[in-house]
Amino acid sequence: MATRISDYAARSRDAIRDQPQVRTAVTGATVAFDEKRRRAYGEVDADAWRRWAEAVKNHLLTHLDDYLAEAEARLEANGAQVHWARDADEAREIVLGLASRLSVRSVVKGKSMLTEEVELNPALERAGIEVIETDLGEYILQLLDEPPSHIVGPAIHKKLEQVQELFADRLGTDPGGDPDELARAARGVLRDAFINADMGITGGNFLVAETGTVALIENEGNIRLTTSLPRVHVALVGIEKLLPRMSDLAGFLQLTTRAATGQPIGCFVSLVQGPAAHPGDDGPEEVHVVLVDNGRTDVLLHENAWEALRCVRCGACLNICPVYRQTGGHAYGWVYSGPIGSVLDPGLLGLHEAMPLPFASSLCGACFDACPVRIPIPELLLAWREEAQQEGLTPWKERTALSALAAAATRPPLYRLAGKLGTRVGATRAARSLPMLRDWSRDRDPPRPSPRTFRDLWRKGIK
Amino acid sequence: MKVALFVTCLADHYFADAAVDAVRLLRHLGCEVTFPDAQTCCGQPAYNAGMSREAARMAHHTIDTFADCEAVVLPSGSCATMVKKFYPRIAADDRAVQAAALADKTFELGEFIVRRLGVTRLGDGLAGRRVAVHQGCHALRELRLEREPAVLLEGAGAEVVPWEAQDECCGFGGLFSVKMSAVSAAMADRKLDTLPRVDWVVSGDGGCMLHLDGRSGARGCGVEFVHLATALWRGVDGHPD
Amino acid sequence: MSGPTAPNRREPHGDGPRARARILARVTRAAALRDRLPHPGRLDTPVPPDPVATFVNRFTSQGGEVATPDPDRAPRDWLTTFLGELGAGIATIALGADVPPGLQPRLPGAAPAHADAGISMAWGAVAETGSLILPSTGTRAVQLLPPLHVVWIPADRVFARLEDALLEMVPTLPGSVGLHSGPSKSADIGQTVVTGVHGPGRCIAVVH
Repeated sequence: MATRISDYAARSRDAIRDQPQVRTAVTGATVAFDEKRRRAYGEVDADAWRRWAEAVKNHLLTHLDDYLAEAEARLEANGAQVHWARDADEAREIVLGLASRLSVRSVVKGKSMLTEEVELNPALERAGIEVIETDLGEYILQLLDEPPSHIVGPAIHKKLEQVQELFADRLGTDPGGDPDELARAARGVLRDAFINADMGITGGNFLVAETGTVALIENEGNIRLTTSLPRVHVALVGIEKLLPRMSDLAGFLQLTTRAATGQPIGCFVSLVQGPAAHPGDDGPEEVHVVLVDNGRTDVLLHENAWEALRCVRCGACLNICPVYRQTGGHAYGWVYSGPIGSVLDPGLLGLHEAMPLPFASSLCGACFDACPVRIPIPELLLAWREEAQQEGLTPWKERTALSALAAAATRPPLYRLAGKLGTRVGATRAARSLPMLRDWSRDRDPPRPSPRTFRDLWRKGIK
Repeated sequence: MKVALFVTCLADHYFADAAVDAVRLLRHLGCEVTFPDAQTCCGQPAYNAGMSREAARMAHHTIDTFADCEAVVLPSGSCATMVKKFYPRIAADDRAVQAAALADKTFELGEFIVRRLGVTRLGDGLAGRRVAVHQGCHALRELRLEREPAVLLEGAGAEVVPWEAQDECCGFGGLFSVKMSAVSAAMADRKLDTLPRVDWVVSGDGGCMLHLDGRSGARGCGVEFVHLATALWRGVDGHPD
Repeated sequence: MSGPTAPNRREPHGDGPRARARILARVTRAAALRDRLPHPGRLDTPVPPDPVATFVNRFTSQGGEVATPDPDRAPRDWLTTFLGELGAGIATIALGADVPPGLQPRLPGAAPAHADAGISMAWGAVAETGSLILPSTGTRAVQLLPPLHVVWIPADRVFARLEDALLEMVPTLPGSVGLHSGPSKSADIGQTVVTGVHGPGRCIAVVH
């Protein structure tokens, strides 16, 4: 999979310097999201809800074999067809195969990070199929040929002026059009797309094993339309998205939305069991559910990282993250960004491919407080760092320096000497040109050591 | 009460005056302060870098150094967290009991004064001072010292001014500020840009202060950073300048 | 269709059995690495004392509207007048397949894509989340395409909690169910909330 993760440090620096409007837009949007999340958590016994949700997902993940089999059986009994994809290639082939068999010429899509992950759109387009993203934010990004920068608000890095300019150019709207006017213009284009599409493709927030229900949360209604109007609906669902029972879904629908946007529930929730089978139902003739692994079983097999599979993709950790707020998601270089990306990407892609994301955190711990399923993100970051050190994926100078510190710290006289020298030398101009400290001193005034150490002052006596 | 001061690397070398103020403050509150000479680094830099074996060696050294002390106080929230929360995770099995014992008797300075000594009034030496509090993330989210610094500052007469980004990380994060310097500096900017008009920014974490002060200096913000120990001692002492 | 290198390939289900077996085997292997953890049971969410009042409150706070019919008039006559008095230029309607004649306003019909309003029957509603429960048997296009959506909901079908409603649905789940909790909304353009993006811009629940 092509990622641009490895140059995170350089690209985050460029983004902060060259795109100040991104930082302003992302900070504004995420601060607002997080305030709503806090308020919504405050309205319920959020602590108890989060512990419950954590336990349900832990149960699910330690019984996933049983629940996958149950979900498959239920879906088939409902008249839906189930497919299994080990990786991105298989996921794309399955969808392309369906499109070919069913003579699909045009596809409408609901927002789905998994389809971004398996790079589905380019594959469909290469096969001559028209693909239209119907979430307003995704539609904007499709026109701009940009990937989403946030799990829930894909275009939060864009300001109104940028959308005004884009729509004026592409849809002929007034350059000063207000959001209502712009949304109306997009609605017109997308309404035609819904009515003409042969296939609707979505992800799935949850898949209830008990009933074979694919649950989708949204606010615009585009997913409801995507799963209703075209004659075929295909849902790509990560295998970790299962829930045991319908009663679990009731809690997860509410908790996820409270965490994501602070709403009690999304304006629209679609519960898809299968194709239209009853009189009066004008829904799709065929419903296909593609169960996708694509690295998830690697994560499940990992001693620590498996806990990240509890993730419900609410984006709460992105919203509260002070690191994410400075750059937005693009700097991270792959689909999943922010705190959850930094612990999930190493599992899905392999640690080598995901470096240096485990180090793209100050370990402030705010993400854990926000996470609705209590993923111990700071601990997982440390676990990945540990693995990175052991596999030699960090600069050797860093490892050597820290080993030396440890060696000195168990020999007090040596430590005192090294500390004194280090501090004094560190304050010199020469030291500031050392590669490790160059960036630090480029961005900050140098620290000023105390004239005498505390140790010296203590020896002299403190009055 | 007999209190051992664990001064920490940064306070020893960069905030020696604040450490001296911590000693004076503790003595003023009736404690006998000792300074075990064999103390070194708590090991947090190695721990945060993912080198827990190296960090464990340092933890073992610290555990031995402070084994006989009645209470251990650190003028640093993050180093206190290392001892209280992370030593029990990384200590070898045969040190687990001692690690837990050290964790129980170790306190961040403000935590010690409020929770262990039960003191919240220190005098009125800070009357008329407007201050903002920067909480280190470990003190805030691991030790849950949500109110302690503000309570003490108010208990010394200061007016603690609300700060929009009060609970947000300043971007220091040790190695993070070196490896991801630009993001780290932008995080400091968010703190500085939302800072209300105050006389001092007070913090119990030297690392955050070095980073914020350095960034403030580079941008010409002219903000004065004061360590919590110094602020509180001035509160007692009545000579805020 | 997937280009010159694709002759290999399998039917849509093609590699199904192999992929399925492999994924399940790995999942089972992972399960052996750790204890199989117990399910925590049901989440107790508070039960609102007056479900109808709570529904009205939540639904309206999410931008939905609620109307109560005049008990002295036949429901379809009341609705016909009500739609006329909205001042929204409602000239044509699309009817859900399950709307009984007594609840159908006396207005000319139109295809859902062209009608001014869609008229639906809710299977039930949820107080806790302020949601209308709309089964697919009631014609989805009617529920989604017109700019105004009017939904009949019997007062005795308002469930206190979402879980209560979903559990009661389990034995008779249709192909699809929509929970509609207010009008269509988006904040994707400059973080400003706009309504009626794809689905109806107005959603009126008629509690009777």
